[in-house]
Amino acid sequence: MKAWKLLGLALVGYSLYAGLMFEVPRLVILNETIRNLYFHVPMWFTMIALLGGSLAYSIRLLRSGDAGQALDLDRDRQAKNFAEVAMVFALLGLFTGMVWAKATWGAYWTADPKLNGTAVTLLIYAAYFVLRGSVDDPEKKARLGAVYNVFAFVLMIVFIGILPRMTDSLHPGNGGNPAFGNYDLDNGMRLVFYPAVLGWIFTGWWIATLRVRLARLNS
Amino acid sequence: MVRAKILAQFIRWEWALEYRRSNGWFLPVLFAAMVGYLVSLLVRQPNPVQWLSLLWITLVFSALQTATRSFSASPSEWIYLNQLARPSELLLGKSITTALNTVFVAWTGVFLFGLWLGWPRPEGLDAFPIWTFLTSITLGAVAMSTTLSFTAALSSKLSRNTGVMAILSLPLLLPTLLVAMRSSKLALLGEPWTVLYPNWLGELALSALPLALGALLFPYLWRS
Repeated sequence: MKAWKLLGLALVGYSLYAGLMFEVPRLVILNETIRNLYFHVPMWFTMIALLGGSLAYSIRLLRSGDAGQALDLDRDRQAKNFAEVAMVFALLGLFTGMVWAKATWGAYWTADPKLNGTAVTLLIYAAYFVLRGSVDDPEKKARLGAVYNVFAFVLMIVFIGILPRMTDSLHPGNGGNPAFGNYDLDNGMRLVFYPAVLGWIFTGWWIATLRVRLARLNS
Repeated sequence: MVRAKILAQFIRWEWALEYRRSNGWFLPVLFAAMVGYLVSLLVRQPNPVQWLSLLWITLVFSALQTATRSFSASPSEWIYLNQLARPSELLLGKSITTALNTVFVAWTGVFLFGLWLGWPRPEGLDAFPIWTFLTSITLGAVAMSTTLSFTAALSSKLSRNTGVMAILSLPLLLPTLLVAMRSSKLALLGEPWTVLYPNWLGELALSALPLALGALLFPYLWRS
């Protein structure tokens, strides 16, 4: 077992304990929900990291056919499984965010740019799975899936980048709302938040590689 | 990399195969007209924002209809095309003709909406700001069409592609739609072009990005 896997587990364990037990700043409205920073935000970092991994595998798949050789179909397996695990983290991020939103905004769902960005991301990758599911030939499936993955990832990043400039957001970190950042994020919180992000990314990456190995065994 | 002569040849080819046959270009126009008429029966006297939202919903689905057909050629036609053009030229040529089609359909849609639902008249305006509004609609239609050309190319490779095209395209169209909606809403409220042009630049950027990405990825798609 590689060291980063153990480190990931240890960091997640530490962030679970420290996230619930350590002191946090007392802010109006947020109150104890500020602890959600340790659980909600790392989900998004992990999702983006895994989607980045999926993108890299898709690019490598396409390039493996460059010299007229057969496509390296293992790359397709990796791209698909990384995207799947990323979507699990997206759902976890969504649910932790919805619980938090109910406590602070008073509603589970609002037409907030951050939420729209999430919805679009989920829809895009759902479409990616549907696309892969509708092709039988493995080579064609891998090629079409990879092409869509690259196309969709770039548009999704652009979308997440421009959306907050289109409309006001209630989300912390936007439009002068009490943010999980700058002056609110004191050094005590950083000591939990950054390990939590790293720990979840390592753990998510590990889960994805395990799924890839399982898929290899099944094929 | 892209030869202008081939593109011109491509558009002539499209002309011969698409526009001279009335069942080619007429289908999406008829679709836009039918949806527009349906909307005008269901909604009476919408306010300007509702009018605009209904218009964009109609335009999105009409554009989808237009683009879905753009890569539906018979195998022998593809063999001819592949001999004629490089993949990037093929995508560019198809994107240009799809953009022209979409703009034509969009203009028809706007005109029919004006005819059947009336032109919205925001307060304090004595005339409908037709030029800024049409520019916003046109740029929005072009931006939609470049994304749609690529997803159409993708789904043309599927044997069972009914419905997949819409599922692939709609999430990717959201950014374009939001920018186009904002731009046309501001135009409708009578803002001058000096206020509107950042949105127009956004629409142009959203047309160029899928084209650039498509040019990079299309050769990989076409090899299969």
